[in-house]
Amino acid sequence: MTGIAPRNESDGLADVLERVLDKGLVIAGDIQVNLLDIELLTIKIRLLVASVDKAKQMGIDWWEHDPSLSSSERNLAAENERLRRRLGELHAAPEAEA
Amino acid sequence: MSGSGTYLYAVTRPLAGSSLDGVRGIGGEPVRTVDAGEVACVVSTVGLDEFGEEPLQRNLEDLAWLERVAREHDAVVQALADRTTVVPLRLGAVYVDDDSAAARVAQLRTAALATLDVLDGREEWGVKVYAVEPPVQNGTAPADRPSSGLDYLRRRRGELERKAVDAQALARDADAVFEDLRTVAVLARRHRPQDPALSGVKQPMLLNAAFLVGRDGRPEFHHAVDLLAQSRPDGAVVLTGPWPPYSFATLDDP
Repeated sequence: MTGIAPRNESDGLADVLERVLDKGLVIAGDIQVNLLDIELLTIKIRLLVASVDKAKQMGIDWWEHDPSLSSSERNLAAENERLRRRLGELHAAPEAEA
Repeated sequence: MSGSGTYLYAVTRPLAGSSLDGVRGIGGEPVRTVDAGEVACVVSTVGLDEFGEEPLQRNLEDLAWLERVAREHDAVVQALADRTTVVPLRLGAVYVDDDSAAARVAQLRTAALATLDVLDGREEWGVKVYAVEPPVQNGTAPADRPSSGLDYLRRRRGELERKAVDAQALARDADAVFEDLRTVAVLARRHRPQDPALSGVKQPMLLNAAFLVGRDGRPEFHHAVDLLAQSRPDGAVVLTGPWPPYSFATLDDP
């Protein structure tokens, strides 16, 4: 449909960092730094810490945050989340008594 | 603690020094070549207050510094790739002086020349595949609202079960994309998928691959990517490039 006219994403920081820090030939320098340990790890951690809530959404339930869902449906989802919890409590109760 | 060092960007075949006129490196320093036998080192001067062992280690943890230097490094490599065949180095190779850089590279010249032969006339393309959901089917149109909370929960469970199956299918599909494209590339590499926080794309990345493609094979490669993209949801397949061959800059197993 859209086709994919080669999109030059070389402005994307993620792609530049990935190539420059994680790929590319390694020739030992005189100044020794432990680049291999860094890979993209510290950057990832930084960004994750900065937006941990966002990352949580993206990682765990990204499909629930489809912008095509209307807000009323989101309210419905919240309401049903409460219902689900209530159901769980009801199911758990008899067991506790037994 | 002050003083200067030699920063190595890339290894090329011997280059006329004048071909690098106007190319600026890290901190705006002029980029120059240093002869290392049958190959050349492409370098610039950097301050050891920034690139000495201890400050460099610290600076690498500073995202703003890292972004600037990564872009400056990449800009030099891109400028070289426009002019000649280039073996890009990873960021951070710093030597006490030009002679030291040349001596180190000269030791590796046989392997470097072999890699340059592989990379001649070729460029790197990146292909990513994201887990983009297909458009909503008619059966689950939004108009068809759940009749009750329980009905909603039932639907929701079915939806989650379908998602689990879909995830496996998507992973297999990403493998298929990789296998398909490697048949129209000279070399192919699979990288770790990027973290959504880093890529800025909320959908999980299923495939993050690099392909080495001859310049004359570019139309064929693009056509193959196009066909794969057309049979998938919009935005599922993303092509980037051309890149200098960072992913294929290796001396042992090119």
